[in-house]
Amino acid sequence: MGLERVVNLLPGAVMMGCTYTLVAIGYCLFFGVLDVVVFCCGDIAMFGAFGIVGAYTILYSAGLIQALPLVVMVLLLLLIAAILCAALGLVSYYVSIKPFEKSSTLMPLLSTIALGTVIKEVLGLVFQPVVNGMAQAAINVPDPKSVVGGRNPQGMPHLIAPTGTTMERNLIIIAIMVVILMALFIFLNKTKMGLSMQAISQNRELAFMTGIDVKRIILTTFLIGGVLLSVGGFVLGNYQSIIRFDGGTMYGIKGFSAAVVGGLKSTWGAVIGGMLLGFVEVFAAGLLNGGTQWQNIIAFLVIIVFIIFKPEGIIGEKTVEKV
Amino acid sequence: MKKNRLIAILMAILMVAMFAVGCNAAPSTGAEAPSAGGEAPSAGGAKGDKVVKIGFLAPITGGNAAEGAAARNAFVLAIDQANASGEYPYAIEVIQIDDQSKPEVGAAGAQKIVSDPDVVVASGHWNSGVAEATIPVFKENEIPMLIWGAIRENLTSVENYPWITRSAPTDVQENIPLAKAVLDDMAYDKVFIVSDLTSYGEGNTTAFTAELASRGLTALGVEKVQEGTVDFRPIIQKIKDSGANCVYWGGVVTEGSMLKSQMFEEQVDALFCGISGNYSQDFLKIGAEAAEGALIVKPGVVLSSTPAGSKFVADYEAAGFSEPIGAYTPYAYEAALILLNCLKQCGDAPTPEAMRDAIIASSTTGIMGTTTFNEIGQTTNVAAYLNVVQDGDWAVYDDSAYASGAKAFPGK
Repeated sequence: MGLERVVNLLPGAVMMGCTYTLVAIGYCLFFGVLDVVVFCCGDIAMFGAFGIVGAYTILYSAGLIQALPLVVMVLLLLLIAAILCAALGLVSYYVSIKPFEKSSTLMPLLSTIALGTVIKEVLGLVFQPVVNGMAQAAINVPDPKSVVGGRNPQGMPHLIAPTGTTMERNLIIIAIMVVILMALFIFLNKTKMGLSMQAISQNRELAFMTGIDVKRIILTTFLIGGVLLSVGGFVLGNYQSIIRFDGGTMYGIKGFSAAVVGGLKSTWGAVIGGMLLGFVEVFAAGLLNGGTQWQNIIAFLVIIVFIIFKPEGIIGEKTVEKV
Repeated sequence: MKKNRLIAILMAILMVAMFAVGCNAAPSTGAEAPSAGGEAPSAGGAKGDKVVKIGFLAPITGGNAAEGAAARNAFVLAIDQANASGEYPYAIEVIQIDDQSKPEVGAAGAQKIVSDPDVVVASGHWNSGVAEATIPVFKENEIPMLIWGAIRENLTSVENYPWITRSAPTDVQENIPLAKAVLDDMAYDKVFIVSDLTSYGEGNTTAFTAELASRGLTALGVEKVQEGTVDFRPIIQKIKDSGANCVYWGGVVTEGSMLKSQMFEEQVDALFCGISGNYSQDFLKIGAEAAEGALIVKPGVVLSSTPAGSKFVADYEAAGFSEPIGAYTPYAYEAALILLNCLKQCGDAPTPEAMRDAIIASSTTGIMGTTTFNEIGQTTNVAAYLNVVQDGDWAVYDDSAYASGAKAFPGK
């Protein structure tokens, strides 16, 4: 049982790690260029997942989903979610961060928490029953008669390997993750924009003096962060099968924890932190008898231990001063 | 300075926005304006000046108005039928209290009821929280109350006995018919329990574990999850390793549907069963294939399956009420039948004390079967029926392809 169960738990651990990693990278990017923690990352990701469900059902009712090949459809939905999340990322910058740039760092902390709550509650209130009805039709429930609003859980259409096995789907998601990480790595290290982002992360004043357009880089960061969060919402929704309007809160807290454990300014640190959290959670639940009720306690205790003994994070440069 | 003002304004706007959102998002506990207690006497008749009064409490307005108003309709219907029958030497009058699902409104209504000297008994509540607020009022003033629809287990207790009794089964009692169906009739013997950490989940885990123990069985594993858990795959690995052929889910629909969905994805060959907190259209959102075969017990009876139930439906529809029959409407009617039966046994001048003693000793056959009460005033009549997801929709088990043998549950 022992080794076999470990092997069986492994894909789930990697999957959870992937979802945490994506949101952790979002935190890292934002913290890197702005030195503030954008606490609504999890809610932005959940907004993306809801965007996919909404877009899918609207396209389905228009007959487009049935007509398009699966890959094209998935890319189209991802594009829609990416646009929505990138736009929300920009909104979050203009509403909850920019007005407080020169004031206390507590202000953006509070304002992003507030914005996250607004996003969450608006999703719960505005996501309309008619969309749900279509969603039910789309996932082959013959009689979509239930009238339920956005506060109820929403079924996520099976988009990744819908007819394949769980293992196939997991492998596809892991492959998507690897591609995204490679692309991000190349972008950050090989392009002028990416190098500028790193320069701002290291020393904003100096970067400004060397002629880097700081404002443009910040906006680009929020766009890229929004896109990454949309992929996070997509992956999370597909893994869970169901999404909840308030699901982004805990997701965001865990993603932030992963980012801190990894080192808040390091993308690779976010990967390691995300994977660590995913592995601790899944193995605590899967290996200990009755361990499920302990998984969050164990995961967050591990985080506390990490920030006591390695406050700068696994690949961090300095401690988190502003949280 | 200017910046500080801007910050203050923005924060104020955000706070107002959040407050507004929070207000809208509050659980539906009756948003409409109250109409001063919502008292409205009904029934009554031309039997001289002799009147016996019964208090009735339900959320007649507000978010739960559909259930509460339908229950009120059924209760009053039964009293009207009794008054019309000529079997009672007095007119029976109902003091209707709209508790709006709010404990403080319910408590004020209860005060109104107990202050009326003609009141001999009360029946109340769809919300357990409101019942908890009114129980002390009824106990202190020694007016018996029969709960018709609030199902939290601790409402009937040694402390509240004999003044407080309940004719609806508690959530925990639903486990009895489920265990009978799954463990006895279907002969599943390798059960894995998954539940949540709420009092609902803990109560169910304890109740179903006791059902297993009474048959000489033990659960192959017990896993408890926090509300909002999304990843059940580590548990599913344990279920697979345990060799379970039946998974009992003790929580409610959100997590339950996720567990069922992930069991389907991981191809677990085991029955999924649970109690009424999972009977919801929301369960079907995971898709027809994933939801297929989920077996859920629900309190009540299929009304059309018995002559008494059919007559109740016909009478209710003939009365032309605007609210349709809800899940607990028959329970309100049943509560009225029990009280009427007890009134009969109290002679020409019923008193609260006589009614208290009559209720706890009563045996009433109504539309849900025969109701008697146990040592803490809880009904022993757990009318319930099984439902199964079949082809993407809920079906009554007895009418389903699973009962006819056309389809088979997993784990067999």
